[in-house]
Amino acid sequence: MLARRTLIGAGLGLAAFAALPAQAQQTLNAYSIWPENWARPMLEAFEKQSGIKVNFLRFSSGEALARVIAEKGNPRIDVLFGGPVETFAAGVKEDVFQPHKPPAFGELAARFKDAGGMWTAIADDPLVFMTNSKFLADNKLQAPQSWNDLLHPAYKNMLQMADARTSGTAVTRIFSILEVNGRDEAKAFDFMKRMRPSIQLYTKSGGGGTLPVGLGQAGGGIFFIVDALDTKAKGYDVQISFPKEGIGTAAEGIALIKGAKNPEAGKKLIDWATSPAMQTLFAAHKINFVPAHPKVATEPSLAAVLKDAKIFPIDDAYAGPNRKRVVERWVNEILPGG
Amino acid sequence: MNARPRNDPTVLATVGVLWLGVGLFVLYPLAMLLLRAFLAEGQLSQGPLFAMLGERIHRQSLLNSLILATLVGGIGTALGFVFALAATRCELSAPARGALDALAFLPLISPPFTTSIAIIFSFGPRGLITHDLLGLTGTSAYGLPTTLLSEVLTYFPLAYLTLKPVLAGIDPNLEDMAASLRAGGWRIFRTVTLPLCIPGFANAFLLLFAASLADFATPLILAGSNFPVLPTQAYLQITGLFDFKGGAVLSFVLLVPAMVVYLLQRWWVARGHYVTVTGKVGPRALSRPLPTAARIPLLAVCSALAVVIAYFYALLFYASVVKAFGADHSFTLAHYRVIFTEGLKAIRDTLIIAGIGMPLGGLFGVVVGYLVTRKRFPGRHALEMTVMLNYALPGTIVGIGYLIAFNDPPIVLTGTAAIIVACYVFRYAPTGVRATIAQLQQIDPSLEEASTGMGAGSFETFRRVTLPLVLPAFFAGLGVMFVRSLTAISATIFLISIGWTLITVRILENMTELALGPAAAFSVLVVAMVFAVTGLIALLLRRLRAPGTMALAGSMGG
Repeated sequence: MLARRTLIGAGLGLAAFAALPAQAQQTLNAYSIWPENWARPMLEAFEKQSGIKVNFLRFSSGEALARVIAEKGNPRIDVLFGGPVETFAAGVKEDVFQPHKPPAFGELAARFKDAGGMWTAIADDPLVFMTNSKFLADNKLQAPQSWNDLLHPAYKNMLQMADARTSGTAVTRIFSILEVNGRDEAKAFDFMKRMRPSIQLYTKSGGGGTLPVGLGQAGGGIFFIVDALDTKAKGYDVQISFPKEGIGTAAEGIALIKGAKNPEAGKKLIDWATSPAMQTLFAAHKINFVPAHPKVATEPSLAAVLKDAKIFPIDDAYAGPNRKRVVERWVNEILPGG
Repeated sequence: MNARPRNDPTVLATVGVLWLGVGLFVLYPLAMLLLRAFLAEGQLSQGPLFAMLGERIHRQSLLNSLILATLVGGIGTALGFVFALAATRCELSAPARGALDALAFLPLISPPFTTSIAIIFSFGPRGLITHDLLGLTGTSAYGLPTTLLSEVLTYFPLAYLTLKPVLAGIDPNLEDMAASLRAGGWRIFRTVTLPLCIPGFANAFLLLFAASLADFATPLILAGSNFPVLPTQAYLQITGLFDFKGGAVLSFVLLVPAMVVYLLQRWWVARGHYVTVTGKVGPRALSRPLPTAARIPLLAVCSALAVVIAYFYALLFYASVVKAFGADHSFTLAHYRVIFTEGLKAIRDTLIIAGIGMPLGGLFGVVVGYLVTRKRFPGRHALEMTVMLNYALPGTIVGIGYLIAFNDPPIVLTGTAAIIVACYVFRYAPTGVRATIAQLQQIDPSLEEASTGMGAGSFETFRRVTLPLVLPAFFAGLGVMFVRSLTAISATIFLISIGWTLITVRILENMTELALGPAAAFSVLVVAMVFAVTGLIALLLRRLRAPGTMALAGSMGG
């Protein structure tokens, strides 16, 4: 008899364990699209300031969005933290957010917010070309100054960049290519097809290729500046350059989840993250995001890098509705290769 | 005194509970997965299958997966055989054999993609081996060769552990007879030893084939964009696009070769090649050692492989204690500080989940193993087969099935620890079932019959007679549960949540970001913890004076 009781008892124990309630302290659940090493100091500062405990889990933007959509019936989180604007625009289309206009809302430029308050920007993050200095020297190349430079035979099988299925970096890149081709999809996809033989690996995360480029295992790639400068700061000999045709920058957003279980705590985090209170912390933590709030100055060395670059914002009104279709086209036409 | 009742109520009740669990956590998710894959607008249809296979990348992925699995199976089996020959036929000293075992054990207990880290450092245009050592240019760290290398290193120990007992178990009299007929050493090897190993080869090949077919993490990091494989594509389809249907279809495609392999393997095992391992045939001659001329190349291969493995793990350790590998090689413990502060939750969650899963899985293994070998009840074979199902299927399928089945009512478990525990129990306890069956087959049922004959109930008999006899299998089951809880990723990556995360998932996440140091530090920690716990269990087993270590190590496959 005992055997069965043990089994049942164990089963009950398991069930009780699963149902353990959250702690009594006010808490907040979030998916962070920013890598842990940047999200954590920010969220810890918020915890200290507000007394609200933040539980978070890091995902690439595609993964995070996919989870939020899947959990729509029973949301597990309150806030989606960080990640490029196209992810948030797509989320609006999927109806997973609820509006909240933080105090900073009125001060922000139009491209740093959704008009209806569905999401608000906390930073700006331009894409860059990052190349390995030794690779360039070996091939007697300059750091690429044009998108077409990436078609040089020396780059064959030497570029790493993110996979559009999982990464917002990749989607921002694809929309940049669309933009420099005048939103002519045929032309843009033709360019991507010609660049395809250069691709060594499409990485799951946006920053996944930075280490191989730093080590020289890959020649270069297209990354967000925050990942590129971090690679450089770690001591890897890489160069950062911008194409003369221009390259996209993505506002990094934050949004309140529809049906959030802790909406008040969530709003507090959004209010804090969109204000100078958080964005002045970027420089101290060596996080090279460009602040979105007009009252926070860009850190001087970051400003110097960006000085002469031609950078254009990704238009969420265009990217949001087209994201799914463009990603699917990329998966079907570009991903498999020639 | 009545004879034991045919349908003992305790047995029937336990069987009922087991079927409930198995039905819920094995059959239900699989059924939901198949429904999701083949239900189009309320109708069963193979349309989605053809639609997915119509895309070139998916056909190519399937082909690549089969090529990779075949190569891993073949090369891994060959290497495993070489190791097994070295261990059994080269008259090695005990410490040398111990070193061989430890070395083979290392890849088995590491998270499956730890060698990938070292491979990225070692090969390719600036790799330590290809560039710095060999001066090669134009090489690549990505693609079939490096993925193959990583998987062979990870899985060849399965072949070694399968083939070692086979080789050791061959009755030396057979070979001696051949020798007395004046057959030469090579001829004996070719016509006696090798043929006796064939079922072992088949078993090892299939184990490795299945392991490679299920592995998605290694290709995710190493395969590159020109060698897509199916498990990775299914993973990205689901986690990236949240295309459940596409993911379900792709995993179904994976299910077919996996099932074929599983059935083939059962068939081989059923042919009974273990009969020589009974050890009940009186005093035996020692195994025939190989001639020196044959030993030298064998030991050379083993040493070379040993050096490679040692080098990879040394590199991993090194990466965990330097600031930024490849750029800043000054010593730091910062990465360990990171994993014990920021990573502490993952470590705690993993240990809690392992802690709950271990006793449940261990008990499950022993109870099922006992019932199917010792009791007669309706559906016995069906139960045994069903229990093995989650073990035989690639983890990606199991994980996706759980996600689909338990994400929506009636049974919502996603986001809990229970779903991860259930996944581990029903996926890895079957190794304990196997160990129990193997153990019980060596114990004469008359012992138990004597107990029941004297009036003890079936539970009483189980507890006082059988349980002590199957304790080694129980501990082996515990060991496997623990190792797997710390190293598995393919199924559970779909099941982590804001409340419960796992070390392996953190390692993968770290590796796909820039945080290589913490990834390496986590891996070192996992290896250390697993060594400590399995060491403890091995010690316990020795106390019980039972040859259970082999069961523990040998059941690590799948």
